[in-house]
Amino acid sequence: MQSVSAPREPTQPVLSTTSTILNMREKEKYIEEFDFPFCDESSKYEKVAKIGQGTFGEVFKARARNSSKKFVAMKKVLMDNEKEGFPITALREIKILQLLKHENVVNLIEICRTKATVHNKYRSTFYLVFDFCEHDLAGLLSNVNVKFSLGEIKKVMQQLLNGLYYIHSNKILHRDMKAANVLITKNGTLKLADFGLARAFSVAKSGQANKYTNRVVTLWYRPPELLLGDRNYGPPVDMWGAGCIMAEMWTRSPIMQGPTEQQQLILISQLCGSCTPDVWPGVENLDLYNKMELPKGQKRKVKERLKPYVKDPYGCDLLDKLLQLDPAKRYDADTALNHDFFWTDPMPCDLGNMLAQHTQSMFEYLAPPRRPAHLRHHHHAAPPAKPPLDSGYQDRVF
Amino acid sequence: MPYWYYDKKDLLNTPSFRDGINNDAENRYRKEGARFIIDTGSKMDLGYNTVATGVVYFHRFYMFHSFRTFPRYITACCCLFLAGKVEETPKKCKDIIKVAKSLLTELKFASFGENPKEEVMTLERILLQTIKFDFQVEHPYGYLLKYAKCLKGDKTKLQKMVQMAWTFVNDSLCTTLCLQWEPEVIAVALMFLAGKLSKFEVADWNGRQPKHKVWWDMFVEDITTELLEDICHQVLDLYSPQTQASGNDSPPSVPQPPKNEKKPPSVTPPASVSPVAVTTATKPVVTPIKNGGEVKIEPPKVGITEPIRYTYPFTPIPHYPPVYTAPPPTIPPPPRLPLVPPPMVYPDPPPAPNRFPPVNVPPPNYFTPLPNRGPPPGPPPRPYYPPP
Repeated sequence: MQSVSAPREPTQPVLSTTSTILNMREKEKYIEEFDFPFCDESSKYEKVAKIGQGTFGEVFKARARNSSKKFVAMKKVLMDNEKEGFPITALREIKILQLLKHENVVNLIEICRTKATVHNKYRSTFYLVFDFCEHDLAGLLSNVNVKFSLGEIKKVMQQLLNGLYYIHSNKILHRDMKAANVLITKNGTLKLADFGLARAFSVAKSGQANKYTNRVVTLWYRPPELLLGDRNYGPPVDMWGAGCIMAEMWTRSPIMQGPTEQQQLILISQLCGSCTPDVWPGVENLDLYNKMELPKGQKRKVKERLKPYVKDPYGCDLLDKLLQLDPAKRYDADTALNHDFFWTDPMPCDLGNMLAQHTQSMFEYLAPPRRPAHLRHHHHAAPPAKPPLDSGYQDRVF
Repeated sequence: MPYWYYDKKDLLNTPSFRDGINNDAENRYRKEGARFIIDTGSKMDLGYNTVATGVVYFHRFYMFHSFRTFPRYITACCCLFLAGKVEETPKKCKDIIKVAKSLLTELKFASFGENPKEEVMTLERILLQTIKFDFQVEHPYGYLLKYAKCLKGDKTKLQKMVQMAWTFVNDSLCTTLCLQWEPEVIAVALMFLAGKLSKFEVADWNGRQPKHKVWWDMFVEDITTELLEDICHQVLDLYSPQTQASGNDSPPSVPQPPKNEKKPPSVTPPASVSPVAVTTATKPVVTPIKNGGEVKIEPPKVGITEPIRYTYPFTPIPHYPPVYTAPPPTIPPPPRLPLVPPPMVYPDPPPAPNRFPPVNVPPPNYFTPLPNRGPPPGPPPRPYYPPP
């Protein structure tokens, strides 16, 4: 049980022996020269291009300088304006990524550092290094030349739900489901990415509700319970996002693009019907139930409005089950995976062949805007956007 | 892959040792650093988990760096700062420093340098790289309670035994045990010790199988009596007078003042003359049991056959506040938020195909074709990728 191979001893710079403790200069030299055995220098990779902007930093495509020439994605941990050191969000993401090892979850290879020198005041910058994925779903959907067959759509959704089933089983909430965070390799393997907002959840004990922040999930993919101020939410928040993404597989653009939280709720009501205690027992107890304007008398039109796009009745039915207002009625990942949609012809089929026709990487970040530029990075963290004066928005409900 | 467990010989040949610090001195620095994390954490109402995580980081850090390079108290603060964030009980850096300052002599606090917060920030990056971003640390506490739940016997006695074992686990943080053995093994050993000392005989336990000779066979395989005794002695050695008398060989805790600063030399006398250093060092490190005054603790008479080479503190000195010391009042403990996402005990979802044969039912007629409807609306207008 005891150590068979202890970590190798680091080589140490020679130190002065005259003083009991190092002076500043000696310490700086020590930090500069210390060869951290577990944390390689980021210079082992060569940056190729910037491919995105994560929750806490930029993302680059890079190539290993060693013989493998392997491509990786490097996500920079932004620490410049951090008063409290290494961001707790990055710590969470790392902890969660170290825990999650699954075919349909992005794989964290290692964490690299830049060398500490006088130029960075002896403070390294850190990069999370991931296996490189060629595309993200938002990038693919914005390219008209990329056509998904029904079997391929099923494969995408099946992998997405498999990933969600796995992370939820491990008591992790993703909390930022959106097409841009769904990566797809050139072989057609789907990977859930960006766990920058993810957190562990617990099943609330009676009388002791969880108090999570509800300022999560990009607005267009945010479920009604979060918009109504729920702080004791769970896996259904990700399932709503899965429903939005599934619809987007056919509509090719986010189905509810509200510019504000209020507008988003209205769009949701127009598609899924009014939020009433009848269809959603307990909704009246949510913090913002009486503070938000909720359209009354709206009928549920999910199937009706999506049918022209989706056509496949099983697909429509599954969408209907995922886009349930009441989180308790929303399908969980396991139930969704057992839905007839995945078990009827055409069966889910591999994406590899279809993707082989496309040799260029497709990322939302690199794609021409598929919606007004100032909306592209509309994010949960941003203050609620004011309705623009020029009214350049289209409140689309499909 | 880093492996955070070391042989005894590795623990003797540490960076500090190679840097001219003898093993006894290093062990004392480790003990003082760990104790300081415990005290600072308790004073800030941090839970036992956060405190223990900070201490483990501290011990791991000094398997790669020397105490001469990095003075222990600021490293300790940095470990606690990081542990707070990792365990979702974050404390502001400046608040930790404030508490640290109140607990340390001016002399010792001088090692924090001119700008303590900046020092901690720089140190944090070194700490992160050193511990390989390996944040998730398990501690014996959880196992202790899990094991205790299975044991049958007098409830009150069991409670006392667990309480004592809990205190031993607290104190074990001051040793390098977390660098030698998994938390499960430490939990078993210290429950074994507490059982002996509190005379709690484990006669039977839930889940017992014929192959189990002793209760811990159920949880950890191949634990020998020698191993248990070795672990117990490492903890008990904390209470022996030799290891406690550390007053006159105090560690280097004062950095050289920066060259540009002119401090009168009298401000920084050698740490050895600090009266506080002496008093803290000679304080017994253990608080036997809170609320347990009526239990008379006697040295073990069975099992440990070696001559007794430790003294058990007979005067209980309440040393740290109940937040940290007292084990939870009942078993199980007050459930802390599961900071640690549970291990992957769930099987992967079954592979999609072959689960059951594809159903060949004609699609249900959810919608009858609407003859009067026009063509479905096309996708919204928007720019696309230019065709290649």
